[in-house]
Amino acid sequence: MVGASSSASHADGGPSAAQGTSADGAGAPEPPAGPRSITPTTLKDLRDAVSTVGAVLIRGTGTATTWGAPVRDARTTVSLAGMDRVLDHRPADMTVHVQGGIRLDVLQSELAARGQWLPYDPARSEATIGGLLATGDAGPRRLAYGSLRELVIGATMVFPDGAIAKSGGHVIKNVAGYDLAKLCHGSLGTLGVVAELVLRVHPLPQTSRTVMVRDVNTALAQKLTWALTRSAIEPTAVEWCEPEQVLAVRFDGTADGAAARAAAARSMLTGSLAELDAGEAHSFWESHAARVVAEPGDTVLRAATRPGIDPGLVGALSAFADRAGVKALLTCSPATGAYTVRVTGADAKAHAELVKNWRTSVEAVGGFVMLRRRRPGVDAMVESWGRAPGSVEVMRRVKGNFDPENRFAPGRFAPWF
Amino acid sequence: MERTARTDRRQALGAVLRDVVAECGPSLRVLSGQAERRAYETDALTVHRVLPGLVLLPADRSQVAPIVRACVRHGVPYVARGAGTGLSGGALPAESGVVIALAKLNRILDVDPDRRVAIVEPGATNLSISAAAGEYGLYYAPDPSSQVVCTIGGNVAENSGGAHCLKYGFTSHHVLAVETVLPDGGTAVLGSDDIEAPCYDAPGYDLRGVFVGAEGTCGVATRIAVRLLRRPEAVRTLVADFPDVPSACETVSAVIAAGIVPAAIEMMDNLAIRACEDAVHAGYDRQAAASLIIELDGPAEECAEQFEQVSTLCSEHACTRLRIARDAAERAAIWAGRKAAFAAMGRLSPEFLLQDGVVPRTRLAEALAGIADLSAAAGLRVANVFHAGDGNLHPLVLYREADGQGPTAEALAADIAELCVALGGSLSGEHGIGVDKACSMPKMFSPADLTAMDRLRAAFDPSGLCNPGKVFPTPALCGEARAGAYQPHPLEETGKIQRW
Repeated sequence: MVGASSSASHADGGPSAAQGTSADGAGAPEPPAGPRSITPTTLKDLRDAVSTVGAVLIRGTGTATTWGAPVRDARTTVSLAGMDRVLDHRPADMTVHVQGGIRLDVLQSELAARGQWLPYDPARSEATIGGLLATGDAGPRRLAYGSLRELVIGATMVFPDGAIAKSGGHVIKNVAGYDLAKLCHGSLGTLGVVAELVLRVHPLPQTSRTVMVRDVNTALAQKLTWALTRSAIEPTAVEWCEPEQVLAVRFDGTADGAAARAAAARSMLTGSLAELDAGEAHSFWESHAARVVAEPGDTVLRAATRPGIDPGLVGALSAFADRAGVKALLTCSPATGAYTVRVTGADAKAHAELVKNWRTSVEAVGGFVMLRRRRPGVDAMVESWGRAPGSVEVMRRVKGNFDPENRFAPGRFAPWF
Repeated sequence: MERTARTDRRQALGAVLRDVVAECGPSLRVLSGQAERRAYETDALTVHRVLPGLVLLPADRSQVAPIVRACVRHGVPYVARGAGTGLSGGALPAESGVVIALAKLNRILDVDPDRRVAIVEPGATNLSISAAAGEYGLYYAPDPSSQVVCTIGGNVAENSGGAHCLKYGFTSHHVLAVETVLPDGGTAVLGSDDIEAPCYDAPGYDLRGVFVGAEGTCGVATRIAVRLLRRPEAVRTLVADFPDVPSACETVSAVIAAGIVPAAIEMMDNLAIRACEDAVHAGYDRQAAASLIIELDGPAEECAEQFEQVSTLCSEHACTRLRIARDAAERAAIWAGRKAAFAAMGRLSPEFLLQDGVVPRTRLAEALAGIADLSAAAGLRVANVFHAGDGNLHPLVLYREADGQGPTAEALAADIAELCVALGGSLSGEHGIGVDKACSMPKMFSPADLTAMDRLRAAFDPSGLCNPGKVFPTPALCGEARAGAYQPHPLEETGKIQRW
């Protein structure tokens, strides 16, 4: 059924409610102002919901509605809140089949009950699995396990014309046909709705240990990271935070094994170091996630560069933040080259200035910067995306072939397309 | 009419040749004689053969784009090719088309031990990457059995796997960026913008993820940035023999159920064991009904702890002999036997067809029983050697062409692939669909699925000249005559395939 007027169907920040579900055909009266919200509960209803007219915004739990450029004039919000179930968990095959609207934390707790997990730790654990694929998000443990693109083995998608298509399947090794799920990774809801996914799951590690080194400057962070990646102790995550200058190294594994690796790390690393107890480690990783997510009114940038902590980029960020009179809190995954910056303080103009300046620095070393969140007013002063990648023409053609009327999240990749 | 078409194709090829020679100069090697071209008419799946019109071997990667542009300009289809070990007809030439043979672009351009990245040319062999990285204690994880000769460009095209993909993932997981000549002749780096400084998070659609496994239909790779892994601290390998196939299958499930993800779990049935042992003398037990090769790796403590558990599980599941490799040389011998399996089949049969289906691991025993039934019904022997950990079967259908068994073997191979789909699996785990299984695609995918995939393909290749006729069923491939009355394909007549 389609829950057109259910209380769970309010659009993100929208005035309320559902405005009915009938399609607005030619000659129909002007649609009422404000978005309508539809919460389908079946694949068929989802197809009907997207086969409407006008702009469509797909919504999970609303944790990433600000990622990328703002969507223009979404007339319909399609919520996946009603498609949030585990359809089939096969522990012995290490696969789970879920609906796209299931929250990651809910899925993790269902898997944990059977000794398994999805080895994936984006900061937004309450986000839906479909939304996480669409945002291409990844957390610190990506170093060891990859991101969701490496864990999705099958997907069912609904495209703007109502076509329901699947790719992949329930087996982890599969090269039959094109991998449409990969296409959706990072697509931000501009190509289709990820209605169902089949994921590869792993055995839950017996334990996780975190070693922390304090007072680690950029050069030392780089040096220690390379020492770790050159070693065979296989950290699950390496994260560096500025301005606190802490380097956190995580190990997942068997009780004895993780303890031995953490001990090896302690002997390899230098400086002020300590192994956190379980409570301290939990608090640290929670606060790390909270910084990445940030709060309304903050501006959040995500930069992708070659692996490493570029001292030039870190220095530039600090100098530009000082110049703009803002505070820039950085978390960096040095072994994968991902930087997330939370900007607080001052005004929108200062935030925009920082974005522009630092983006220039990142692009100069071949990287990219996107806006995940911005202080109100920033959009008028700076683009959400920087320079377009060289493959943007192919992306435009992909978008045109799947959504020729540009109905799904129009404007999300502006100014690229 | 036919003569006119042939003349047109000849003229178009002549125009391509003139253009590329003018632009690339004498270092571009051109093979135009029939005997020279003959060497490129098939990949290792020799039941499919098409003589290309022209074979071009770039001496430098800058020559690839001019070749593609010339093909597009004159409407000539083209296919890039590495070592030709794909075994699905994925690199089969188009009739009167161009083959771009990338064997000379085989350099390892850079190994960055800190970032654990190697930049390589597409013609580099899979094993040569690990050899170059080995100096730094690193390696490239996906390891197809043909890794001594297969090229990384082909691995990227097919998203090829290998024994160690159960734990470490597939080619797609280990390719950070691909520098490509797109089907319109333009160039782009997918997954990054600078191939020499590849990043993990290029914004936008994951075109790199689409390109890997697209079977060469989305462009030609000219440089590839691959992720390297640190060689594990410890590696432990064993061979466990079983009195029957189900016991071996149950052991695989028990290991996984214990929360252990081995680096590899390979299985061989008796036919395969005997062939491999006779060929390589790896120390396999010729009497065993089935054997598992199980390898664990990782940090020493965890590896030792879990290896003990695996050994116990094997014993608990009726294992008749447990042979533990005592050193690297014994481990190498065990793997040499497994990796020689396809070549060793020559001892059993003059010809064989390799199948590449996948089933959920829990249905392995069912799949093997089904294959045995199909084998008996067809009157042809089938040897099984495969990646049990991820359910990727490699049945080898043995036949004798001289006895006219070819069509029966083809039908049996198609039956096996479709059995895998019926059991909830896939038509291919690492070799691709190519032309060989294109006609079976409708067994796995609906028309809507295939249409969506075709839309994606068209976004890369609007002119349809880049490795045409692969992956998707076409009327020409699956039965309809190119002109005149419809003629069903022999497999279609037997109900093995359907047209789409």
